[in-house]
Amino acid sequence: MCGIAGRILGAPGRVGNDLVELMDAQEHRGADSTGFAVYGAPRDTGYVLRGMGFDKAGLDADMAGFRDILKAHGSDWLEEPTFVTSEAGHYCMRGVISDPADLARWVADADEMTDRFEVQSCGRSLEIIKDTGSSQDVAEKHGVRDLIGSHGLGHARLATESSVLPNASHPFWARPFADVAIVHNGQITDYFTWRAKLERQGYRFLTGNDSELIAVWVSDQMKAGLTMQQALKKSITSIDGVFTYMIANTDGIGFAKDQFAMKPIVAIEQGGELAAATEEQAVRRVFADEAEVTNYDGPSLTGIWGVGNRRMAA
Amino acid sequence: MTVTVDVGQRPIREVHQDLKEAYTSGEPIRVINTLSRHNLGGGMPPGIDITFEGSVGDYCGGLNTGAKVSIERNAGWALGEGMSRGLITVGGYAGMSCGAAMTGGTIHVKGDAGPRCGVAMKDGNIVVEGKIGYQSGFMAHRGRIIALGGAGASCADALWEGEVWVAGPVESLGVDVNVVEPTAEEVAEVDEILEPLGLKDTSRDWRKMISGQRLWYFESRDASAWLMI
Repeated sequence: MCGIAGRILGAPGRVGNDLVELMDAQEHRGADSTGFAVYGAPRDTGYVLRGMGFDKAGLDADMAGFRDILKAHGSDWLEEPTFVTSEAGHYCMRGVISDPADLARWVADADEMTDRFEVQSCGRSLEIIKDTGSSQDVAEKHGVRDLIGSHGLGHARLATESSVLPNASHPFWARPFADVAIVHNGQITDYFTWRAKLERQGYRFLTGNDSELIAVWVSDQMKAGLTMQQALKKSITSIDGVFTYMIANTDGIGFAKDQFAMKPIVAIEQGGELAAATEEQAVRRVFADEAEVTNYDGPSLTGIWGVGNRRMAA
Repeated sequence: MTVTVDVGQRPIREVHQDLKEAYTSGEPIRVINTLSRHNLGGGMPPGIDITFEGSVGDYCGGLNTGAKVSIERNAGWALGEGMSRGLITVGGYAGMSCGAAMTGGTIHVKGDAGPRCGVAMKDGNIVVEGKIGYQSGFMAHRGRIIALGGAGASCADALWEGEVWVAGPVESLGVDVNVVEPTAEEVAEVDEILEPLGLKDTSRDWRKMISGQRLWYFESRDASAWLMI
């Protein structure tokens, strides 16, 4: 039982604040960890990075090694990294880099550092902020309420399939696909089968979390030529388990729901805005009680909500 | 005179303390500012007439023992779970598992109901004016689900002695379902349930679904075989 949420604003604004509210209302669904994916003003060039190091004592050495890898790929910091350290010993990083010559190759090399430091999001617009603790704790620690953007995702985690670690928190970035993030409520029962197939294609997974797999699975299908809507539909019959997930890119948010209708999702769409969540009482934190809510309660459902008042495809 | 209880973002424990006091007044109760909050009105006693203004969240009216409950808009999951007596009316939509494991009373949903409506119900009636969702009636032991607007896929899956009555299109049947022609007496019984709700209409073309009793456990009625489950 986890809680997930998505939010699209009519115009860029304090989407971080709304995501915190959506997750605070669903804290009872899982307070192991909380995370947010925020889509800020898209850059024309350069990538915003969010990352996590596992030992703050090694921060300087980690960053020196990380910069060496950047330079080896023709990239460097456009904005020097900033850090939030934790009593638990890990630290979180934000910075902006210039475009590497080949993003996927740079990600693969940067992933060689994952025993010490991992990149948790990379995009022109996407920033993933996640940590152990409640939404209020994570929001306060990382200044999430003040994050400005057009849309985003939120997740409250009740760990079932992998450890309670800061880096096993959601959302997950679909590495190495820039600007793609996922939140998921459920369990994938053929995780290892799909993971082996995707690893044979060269993808790398940093956790044992099944949600990380869905993000890459959908992105890989889109890379192969499917639209997001087609990939979402295909996931329902291709991936085993009970699940509802939301996946986002710079264009909007899509969702898919398994064949058994076990994991809820409700949404309010009003005036070009969207609030979607596992529970109705959460979306009512954002919209007034009078707003009409849609319960996507049935099995095998998919949909896409577009940013900028583009109507969803059902 | 009506007693008003305001929910807002107050702790539900506090709201329930106010509701308990309101129950003792004997007056109709109006609950406002519900904000789709969960667990509202659990275990309500007999003789209460309570209206929830707006939408409620999950488990509203659970374990109802005889109250008359009205929800003006939508209800979340497991509306009236485990209720034994009373009437719950929903003006709009009822989420998944409406009436789960209820043992008596009536739930009346004016809109649609979500998946697994009446799952494992043990008695009572669920009347849905719209459509019932995926796998409604799943493992219903007794009681009736009556859907006037149709049913989703896998309808009446793995029924025991419960019945699913549908006057409208059925997307697909679940496993081990027999669709039978109801007798005039049985239709009259259903009309008796519908009449006080203002829904009696003798022109309906009913499909009554009951268990086919072909699943393995219907062949294993001795105790030793049941221990294998």
